[in-house]
Amino acid sequence: MGILRIGHVSLRVLDMKAALDHYINVIGMYKVMEAANGHVYLKCWDEWDKYSVILTEDKEAGMNHLAYKVEKDSDLDDLKKKIEAYGIAAKIMPEGTLPSTGRMLQFNLPSGHDLRLYAQKEYVGTEVGTTNPDPWPDNKHGAGVHWLDHALLMCELNPEKGINKVAENTKFCTEVLDFFLTEQIVVGPGGAIQAASWLARTTTPHDIAFVGGPRNGFHHMAFFLDSWSDILRAADIMGKHKTKIDVAPTRHGITRGETIYFFDPSGNRNETFAGLGFLAQRDRPVSTWTEDKLWTGVFYHLGEPVPSFTEVYT
Amino acid sequence: MFYDSRPKFQVSVNQTGEVYACAVGESLLAGMIRLGRRGIPVGCVNGGCGVCKVKVSAGRAEKLGPISRAHVTEDEENQGFALACRFGPASDLSLDVVGKIQKAFGIGLSK
Ligand code: FES
Ligand SMILES: [Fe+2]
Repeated sequence: MGILRIGHVSLRVLDMKAALDHYINVIGMYKVMEAANGHVYLKCWDEWDKYSVILTEDKEAGMNHLAYKVEKDSDLDDLKKKIEAYGIAAKIMPEGTLPSTGRMLQFNLPSGHDLRLYAQKEYVGTEVGTTNPDPWPDNKHGAGVHWLDHALLMCELNPEKGINKVAENTKFCTEVLDFFLTEQIVVGPGGAIQAASWLARTTTPHDIAFVGGPRNGFHHMAFFLDSWSDILRAADIMGKHKTKIDVAPTRHGITRGETIYFFDPSGNRNETFAGLGFLAQRDRPVSTWTEDKLWTGVFYHLGEPVPSFTEVYT
Repeated sequence: MFYDSRPKFQVSVNQTGEVYACAVGESLLAGMIRLGRRGIPVGCVNGGCGVCKVKVSAGRAEKLGPISRAHVTEDEENQGFALACRFGPASDLSLDVVGKIQKAFGIGLSK
């Protein structure tokens, strides 16, 4: 069946102590292990696999790699063939390359972002377990996010030079990885340029998204919350911790998600994302946002350009 | 503006002629934001994104925290380049804004 869902993000941070304070006390994750190389692994309370974020201390902020979980081990071999047939190099990294994780299929998206697929990760269970589970655990803390929901990657878009990594990634992800397009932004004469795209494998409006910008990079990773009241509470916690909020609670037109954009202490953007949005299905018609209304798509209430959305990322 | 008793230095933004008082221990960017001023682009305010890159042309700045080397290398730092969100004033100083406004979605300037 191929890709199930987003698995984890490996992120570079400038200061591990500050990063842990943020991801644990603001976001509400749990530290699950620290590897000998100092990398720290974290999970959210409603996730059952061992980790969903890896923090690595570095001299630069940004993303090392993004990983998705596939259903069956044989999916890795099948997808390796498809990716290679498409003309992209792919390699198998042996089990144990990352702790508690099975073998990984590694390749770069047309934009150059490092993507990994894996079928196995150590099962540890959610914080509420599987027998008569409570709706939330007593040790919930911070914003108490449920799970890592999606990632948005910035992709080089330079129409004058004929470079559009958004369109290239979208084509590759739909044709080879079997994602389906849910929404897009088109610009230019006749809407000929695909400037952003949202793609799904699950029934949520997106599991990955690509937005055109001056250079490739990491735009954000998002964590799921139930409702608008949880978003308000998350913003309260950010105020309490002096977290730098980029865009205060509002709604996206695209995905209909209720959102806060904010930065971790190394300048990597995070999002808390709430609401179902809509039921994503393969036969659901794609929503298209046009050049004159694209900022309404990005931030529905004000509908005005927010320069940081396309200019500020790691 | 509320009364603020902290010791301060004057910061001048060369391109815009903007001058503001930045407190000791406060970042050049935070001081500008606190006063509702403009001139230096504001991004992550945490040393990671590089949009607040400046070059100190006169006076001294002190480093307040780690910065992403993707945006200011050690060499550049020695030449006076800085991220305004991670450097504070160590004297009155003047700076040039280096970070530039980019095209949004490939279709012209967003402001
Ligand atoms: S605002 Fe992002 S590095 Fe200063
Ligand atoms: Fe998002």
